[in-house]
Amino acid sequence: MLNIVACFKWVIDEAYIRKGASGALDFSAVDYKISDYDRNAIEEAARLKGLHGGSVTVLTAGPPEASKGVKDALSRGADQAVFAGDPTFNQLESSQTAAILGEIVRSRIPYDLIICGEGSSDQYAQQVGPRLAENLGIPCISYVQKLTIGEGGRIMAERRVEEGVEVVDALLPVVVTVLPEINAPRIPGVKDTLMASKKPVVTIKKEELPAVGAARLQTLGMTAMRMERNGEIFAATPEGIVRFVEALQKKGVIS
Amino acid sequence: MDFKLTEEQELIRKNMREFADKYVEPIAGEIDENSRHPAEVFKKLAEGDWMGIPIPTEYGGAGSDYLTHILAIEELSRSCASTGFTVSIHVGIACMLVLLNGTEEQKQQYLLPMAKGEKLGAFVLTEPGAGTDVMAATTTAVLDGDAYVLNGTKTFTSNGPTGDTYMVFAWTDKAAGRKGLSCFIIPRGTAGMSAGTHFQKMGLRSSQTSEMVFKDCRVPKANLLGKEGAGLVMAMAGFDHGRVGIAAQSIGIVQAALDESVRYSKERIQFGNPISKNQAISWMIADMATELSAARFLTYHAAWLKDQKLNFSKEAAMAKLFASEAAMRHTIKAVQIHGGYGYCKGAKVERLMRDAKITEIYEGTSEAQRMVISGNVLR
Repeated sequence: MLNIVACFKWVIDEAYIRKGASGALDFSAVDYKISDYDRNAIEEAARLKGLHGGSVTVLTAGPPEASKGVKDALSRGADQAVFAGDPTFNQLESSQTAAILGEIVRSRIPYDLIICGEGSSDQYAQQVGPRLAENLGIPCISYVQKLTIGEGGRIMAERRVEEGVEVVDALLPVVVTVLPEINAPRIPGVKDTLMASKKPVVTIKKEELPAVGAARLQTLGMTAMRMERNGEIFAATPEGIVRFVEALQKKGVIS
Repeated sequence: MDFKLTEEQELIRKNMREFADKYVEPIAGEIDENSRHPAEVFKKLAEGDWMGIPIPTEYGGAGSDYLTHILAIEELSRSCASTGFTVSIHVGIACMLVLLNGTEEQKQQYLLPMAKGEKLGAFVLTEPGAGTDVMAATTTAVLDGDAYVLNGTKTFTSNGPTGDTYMVFAWTDKAAGRKGLSCFIIPRGTAGMSAGTHFQKMGLRSSQTSEMVFKDCRVPKANLLGKEGAGLVMAMAGFDHGRVGIAAQSIGIVQAALDESVRYSKERIQFGNPISKNQAISWMIADMATELSAARFLTYHAAWLKDQKLNFSKEAAMAKLFASEAAMRHTIKAVQIHGGYGYCKGAKVERLMRDAKITEIYEGTSEAQRMVISGNVLR
């Protein structure tokens, strides 16, 4: 019986972020969502459970409002949830998140396989998965695009690395971080969402956890990216066309 | 007073948004152009329990409430008003008629497969000479042994060519007047019932509409829905439910018109500035957003009343009247904002404007809504 834990982060849906005056980001009308690649992590956990049986626990640390995310995660094929909720968990650093998740997993959740998204949709530090593995003292297989459970408590993973694909075999338990290519997350049906509210959720208060180390990073500013476009117009004359072709060659578009 | 949706309602709305973006938005233009019923989308809608949201689980539905159904219709219609409508009339009228009036056997046999989305429902009332004037209908149902024999011609039947389970209204006793109309559940394939060819319409083109002809169509007594002579009351209650759905469809259309207008007016540069900087344009968008909010509150309120088991007939008519007229007004404005581009095929606002018109006509014209509302107010 495979115990799978899928971790997720409840993040600002970037579609709602607006560019305010002087390039500052305007968060006044934002909505939240499960971080994109974490949806792949939950989907993969549900997929493996469907193939091999077992149990899927979704785990998150976040502000109390993330309870909606817990329901969302439970509607995606998980059996139960563990939610560490506190208003101060709104701005956790990767190291803090990994410490909290590590403590909870170690003390409260039986696990064979822990799946995280490769990085979060908001900060995309890509650190929680590897730090969680380090915290638990187990291997981490990152950037996974295909996952197979083998015989004798082993797991096979295809990692996408810069110049190709690395195939890794490991003994469970492990932490895996997944790429969006690994699956297509489901769109929960109406009943999935309604039933999610009836699934067990263990809520953990900050006071029940060991103190988390102080934040070491300080955000000094956050501005919208500027995309510079160079518009160059060529005349529709023989000379213009020659210059147009030269410009394309110079850019390496044609050779 | 609580204006907040539940977490489940918010999640379900978002899931429908994602569903519509993924499966409906990309084909909405094509199914409009070809007047095609997207069977592949309805299969997926069925898989996600979207075809019977407010129907109890024991009858194949999702076991949620009417407001949640309304939210789904709104989001679906934002991508495609035809698809949104087809779900609306299937759930809001066909399924609700059987849920509210059917026997246990009828619910198991007909409601369950409809609420699961395996069968598509249709509402067969309007006749060539009987639109708003329902009493002018001429289709008859005469009892002959263990069956009723139906004869007559119906028209503008939504889901006529594609339906599986038809709610058909006919006179069992014309002399009894308002107490002489009865409703029958007739499955597709029943001898003597045939659907005509799909009408080519101005808008709402992927919703399949046709005549329905009944020629000595024998319907077992067991298929009488409710009591003999209760048809008119049931039809009016069906309209109450359906109208909230049309209001939701209209809101979806206005929201889409607003989305398109905001995006285009920020991109379109004239005289060196985005046209959204012109007061003439920005005020159109302000009015659009304001009336959208007003329509939304009227609609959600009507659905909320229904969920509270309170009378919502007047509120349903108000929501439908205001939302549908807002849809027409603001899709015209949206085309205006888009200028020549908005008048061309391929522009979403062109389709929205054509789709909007029907919302002022079917399930009771705006004039019929005013009759219902004034009838309530002047009582």
